[in-house]
Amino acid sequence: MLLTTSRLSDEDLLARMQSFHWWHSIALRPGLTTFGGKTELILAQEEEAILAPFNLAGRSVIDIGAWNGHFSFAAKRRGARRVLATDSYIWNHPVWRGREAFDLARSELGLDIEAALLDPPEITEKVGRFDVVLFLGVFYHLYDPIDVMQRLRGITRQLLIVETHHDLTGEARPGMVFYPDAILNQDATNWWGPNPGLMLHLFLQLGFTRVFYRDHPTLGRARGIYAAFTPEVDDGLILRLDAPWLDLDVPGAVEALALQP
Amino acid sequence: MSEPDLRAAVGAHRWLQSLRLRPDLLTPGLISEAQLRAEEAALLDPLNLTGAHVLEVGAANGCFSLAARRRGAVRVLATDHLAWSLPGADAQSATEWAAHAMGLPLETQVLDPRTLSADFGSFHVVLATACFEQLFNPIQALRGLRSVTSRVLLLETMQDALSDARPMMMAQSRILPYGGPEGNWVAGWAPNPPLMLHLLNDLGFNRILYRNHPVLGSARGIYAALLPEAPEGLLAGFDPPWINMTQPVG
Repeated sequence: MLLTTSRLSDEDLLARMQSFHWWHSIALRPGLTTFGGKTELILAQEEEAILAPFNLAGRSVIDIGAWNGHFSFAAKRRGARRVLATDSYIWNHPVWRGREAFDLARSELGLDIEAALLDPPEITEKVGRFDVVLFLGVFYHLYDPIDVMQRLRGITRQLLIVETHHDLTGEARPGMVFYPDAILNQDATNWWGPNPGLMLHLFLQLGFTRVFYRDHPTLGRARGIYAAFTPEVDDGLILRLDAPWLDLDVPGAVEALALQP
Repeated sequence: MSEPDLRAAVGAHRWLQSLRLRPDLLTPGLISEAQLRAEEAALLDPLNLTGAHVLEVGAANGCFSLAARRRGAVRVLATDHLAWSLPGADAQSATEWAAHAMGLPLETQVLDPRTLSADFGSFHVVLATACFEQLFNPIQALRGLRSVTSRVLLLETMQDALSDARPMMMAQSRILPYGGPEGNWVAGWAPNPPLMLHLLNDLGFNRILYRNHPVLGSARGIYAALLPEAPEGLLAGFDPPWINMTQPVG
């Protein structure tokens, strides 16, 4: 099912694009790319790092914190059977107007993607269970990320992918730093900076049995990408998890990571 | 109960805390009577509990609940979660038996503090010892504790990251002597004082006092968090080594 409705002229589309603040730079038509804070190049590198290791063909995917929808669109293009894009803060924000921007991009791209307004602390199993859960750039924006991680476990059938800001990366012991009063990047929505040991601890406590890690493709250890698998994972989901991915749940892996710059 | 029956009953339980039932009869608890007495003094001496309603979360064998009763509290609800509910646990029945043997009425209930809400009731003093280190989600549990506190929240917890001025907490998991004889792995956290200050402040506590553990020093901390409804006179009981974390230095 294509969701494209009446086709806008290039001029009208450009005007609509310019009426929004974008975070994702998304090519809607040749020569017409949204003016996102994240460039197409960075998004392409992130998409390669986050999605290329997995075979999404026929899978169900939920994108939590979809913002303008880049990774939802990418999952669909990579063959996902069902994609549910969700957001709350950005989609409700009077300046970002993220839902309207998402709807414009989805419509223009003609991708069959569902959308739902969903605040992570309100996630329950009523949302359904998904083969793949994307949780990109959200963990550190939550006052209680532990609660939300517990909720995410409940809706993850096979794989939870988390991308997050890091702190305490030179410390092997699991920990996380609290950021009161907008002290992280002068952004009052930033609350916690975990380290890889902490993320591993949370995944294992929540019943994920295998956890892989890689640094962010452009920002290095300042941010990390985690792939956490449930015991029910289907081997066909994984295409390759070779370097720079590393198996984080083997003895000594977290300690070795903390010693590397 | 005859002396032999009393001793046999003590021997029938595994004890987490050393409770003095008679001048010559002490339950063989994992935590010594001397340490518990020092903790009781640190936690409860600053407060006048006469007429108070007290909720204890993580009561183990109820040492501090029983102390609150002796200190004049009219209602004491002793609760625990893991130590009272894991398969093989007998700490709740041991607590109830000890309260009966000591002639101190005590309500008891298995309670996960994450499930607390205002519907549960309201207590002048809420007390939680060995707090963060046994909670997978202490943020949620703190919200629950706040929701049932009308005056003062007393928290005792393991601490970490003490040399770091930034608020943070470290995760850890340990085998604790809960449930069956082998114990069980329990996951929790060890915060540092700057984090506790922020978390308690964010919950609406406007005066937050701190002291090191009376026996174990800064490895463990004790916090008294007062709500705006708590009278200013309450602060008078918090002599050094208590410090007021919410009062500007100098």
